[in-house]
Amino acid sequence: MSLHLADRATPSPAMAAVKPEIIVEGITHSYQTGRGPVLALKDIDLSIAPGRFVGLVGPSGCGKSSLLMMMAGLTRPSEGRVIVRDAPVTSPAPDRIGVVFQESSLLPWRTALENVAFPLKLRGVPRAEREAKAEQLLHLVGLKGFENRHPHELSGGMKQRVAIARGFCQDPPVLLMDEPFAALDEQTRMTLGDELLRIWDQHRKTVVFVTHGLTEAVYLCDEVVVLSGRPGEVLARIEIDLPRPRTWEMMATEHFGRLRERIWSLIRTQS
Amino acid sequence: MSTGRTRGAVALAQAAIVLSLFLLWEAASRLGWADARLLPPPSLVLPRAAALLSDLVFLGHLWITVQEVLLAAVIAVPLGVGIGLTLAESPYLGLAFKPFFHFVAAVPKSVFLPVFILLFGIGFGQKVAFGVFQALFVLVIATAAAVAAVPEELLRLARANGATRRQIWAEIHWNAMLPLILEGLRLGMIFNIAGVIFAEMYVSRAGLGQRFTSWGESFQMPELFAGVLIAAGLSIIVNETLRALERRAGAWRVA
Repeated sequence: MSLHLADRATPSPAMAAVKPEIIVEGITHSYQTGRGPVLALKDIDLSIAPGRFVGLVGPSGCGKSSLLMMMAGLTRPSEGRVIVRDAPVTSPAPDRIGVVFQESSLLPWRTALENVAFPLKLRGVPRAEREAKAEQLLHLVGLKGFENRHPHELSGGMKQRVAIARGFCQDPPVLLMDEPFAALDEQTRMTLGDELLRIWDQHRKTVVFVTHGLTEAVYLCDEVVVLSGRPGEVLARIEIDLPRPRTWEMMATEHFGRLRERIWSLIRTQS
Repeated sequence: MSTGRTRGAVALAQAAIVLSLFLLWEAASRLGWADARLLPPPSLVLPRAAALLSDLVFLGHLWITVQEVLLAAVIAVPLGVGIGLTLAESPYLGLAFKPFFHFVAAVPKSVFLPVFILLFGIGFGQKVAFGVFQALFVLVIATAAAVAAVPEELLRLARANGATRRQIWAEIHWNAMLPLILEGLRLGMIFNIAGVIFAEMYVSRAGLGQRFTSWGESFQMPELFAGVLIAAGLSIIVNETLRALERRAGAWRVA
């Protein structure tokens, strides 16, 4: 199993030598409904090397978000397991794994600064220390001067910036992002994508990025994992061999278009 | 955004409204639009209210009512919030019992007053018991609704960041629920005050309600109106205080 995975997953000989940061091992998941059990995910195997930016795409309802929640330790799979940094994930592990959710999920009664510092507060980090860290991160995502604003005083894009800053707050080696830009307009989404790449470039985390935006997936990722319709299975792992840093001009290239088209043709045959 | 200037203008307009209501009342009474024996003018009622507030006998009655209301609140609030939390946290208990709280909440509590007299007599304890009974249901319902209103995505966020059960309650539930519980508390206090005064009016030897009934029966209208003004004033103060707390706790709910 790991053998055939390796030949699909390994783009270059150098990669093969690196120990994977995230391993998804034989995950199959079904859940009960009124009309009986539904098989959501089937035999998912993945290995993701450290520092990679990996996209997870697939038709609606293919279980990509569920898979991400399993990687986060928030949902238990029926079968199989997730290993992050050599340890199985059975419950949330914020020191290893940060999560950025689809809705920004900010605490509406806390300021932007307090929201970013929230994970550190839960760990008992003293106020001065955690807020200094949070301030630094807010500057990083371009929200200097908005420290004391409450979420209802921020735009959708700003809220998502705060959520991203919060994801980086504990400095986890792995960052899981569940359609973080889905609720934003096209322009904001593109800008935030660039921002995310800039920050990622500075902090080099392993990112798993669930999205339904194919352009976004190609633009951001090193590799895009395409899941099939329900039950979700890995259809293909497509290496995005565009050079970094990514620029907007690349979107107009034929190569970009071909990559996007390959993913689309795989998904189209599904639903 | 209201500037200081518009706020000032609004306050001025509100003062004018109150003043013209009193003037209208005065005119109605003096110009014979209403029977002055049934509706004494404020120029008579207001001095009487001031006199009552320095009358030790009246203050004694008032103090009894205040004690009954406070004791009823001290019993009803933890009890109502506790029951509400239990119903919300246990799916089984919630499904089984919640409808009954809604049913009983819909019934006018005053019909139970004779039962309360049989159970608790006509003294202090009966007034407190009736106040608790009046306030309890709205507190239970508001608390259960507050738990249900805690956003699921925030709970998930806290769990993803490794929050303990206690941290989830302190950081998420408490903040999300507080404004709704304060709203329930405010409504509960209105019911509580109404219940206590009503129980006093029905059968009692002391308290504000007992005074109202006695003044009404002996046709002492200036005293009755003065007492009503005082009771209204105190209720408004309680309500506005809780409303201010509610606004502060729920400032994040705007927009």
